[in-house]
Amino acid sequence: MNLDEMKNTWVQQESQNAAAITIDQRTLVEMKINKQMQQLRAMKWARIIESVLFFCILILLGQYIAQGEFTLSATKVSALILSVFAIIGLAGNIGQVILIAKVDYSQPINELQKNIYQVCCHKLQLTKLLLMSTPFYLAYVFIGFDVLFGIALFQHLESHMVWFYSVSSVLLLIVTVWLSAKLNYKNIHTDWVKNTIQFIVGERLVNVAQFINNIESS
Amino acid sequence: MNTTKSALFAQAMEEHKGIIYKVVNSYCHNLDERQDLAQEILTTMWLSFDKYNNEFKFSTWMYRIALNVAISYYRKDSKREDKANVCEASIVHIADEPAAGERSEEIKQLYQFIAQLDTVNKAIMLLYLESESYDSIAKSLGISTTNVATRISRIKEKLKNQFELQES
Repeated sequence: MNLDEMKNTWVQQESQNAAAITIDQRTLVEMKINKQMQQLRAMKWARIIESVLFFCILILLGQYIAQGEFTLSATKVSALILSVFAIIGLAGNIGQVILIAKVDYSQPINELQKNIYQVCCHKLQLTKLLLMSTPFYLAYVFIGFDVLFGIALFQHLESHMVWFYSVSSVLLLIVTVWLSAKLNYKNIHTDWVKNTIQFIVGERLVNVAQFINNIESS
Repeated sequence: MNTTKSALFAQAMEEHKGIIYKVVNSYCHNLDERQDLAQEILTTMWLSFDKYNNEFKFSTWMYRIALNVAISYYRKDSKREDKANVCEASIVHIADEPAAGERSEEIKQLYQFIAQLDTVNKAIMLLYLESESYDSIAKSLGISTTNVATRISRIKEKLKNQFELQES
């Protein structure tokens, strides 16, 4: 027997399949939410709270930049750099809220699974954002010294130290850009990518990534 | 209005509920999981019913939701086992197995074969057995028709080999 012959047997089984399942329609139509939608709703609220946090950081940085005379000091540039990251974080969270609202289980399977991947990889995206900010680590240090001790650290740095930090930042930038590009579902077959994603987000995202890769390959 | 919606949904569900049975039996091994998945599929269908697009056959829409929920459900972490036993209003009951005589040997073999396929090929196989065209399967999965054709050809080959092996 081949697959085409089996189609007939499959169709003949229809009435028995229907008889094997009983639905309580009255209770069903009273349902307002289910487990998956509960999960999505919880995620949506978490993203909204994160958005508010990023917004608060942005306001604080804005106040820091605006206070005193507007000169292009190292601390103000540092605050501007950190503001850019806060804006990216805020935009990412707003995007997530929109994406969650658009999750539709009647979409084509590949499309929905990609949307689910995008929703579930939020923690990975936040890690990437933090990673991308590491080359600018001096921005945190400059602002920290200024806020906590009132010291403009940059003015006390010798030129060779400025060079050292500049070179190390460029090197770090190359490494973090490369790492961020690699941490993508398309590279999930690479062991270290798989293990890193599993460590940061969990097995579920690895499974979604593997599924998307599988469905797209013939 | 709401009563009309409920009545329409109930009628459509009664006509096509066999789809849910086929999907849960293909994706889950034990009865608790099947019940839990069937409940999740049904509630997702009910909660998405407002968005149902008449351009698609109701059965196609049902298959898309059922497969999407099954694929997403199947991949949840180990905590799912606990969730499967959470006591909540049971809206669906699935018979463990149809009476021995009722289910043909061929169907049993077919379900065993489907169980061996990966998640994507299970979905393709189910839609193929419903006599959906390659184009329709491709649209439901969001992949190319060539991809579907290649996969079906491989599934057929695998099935043929398996039957030959059993006969020898």
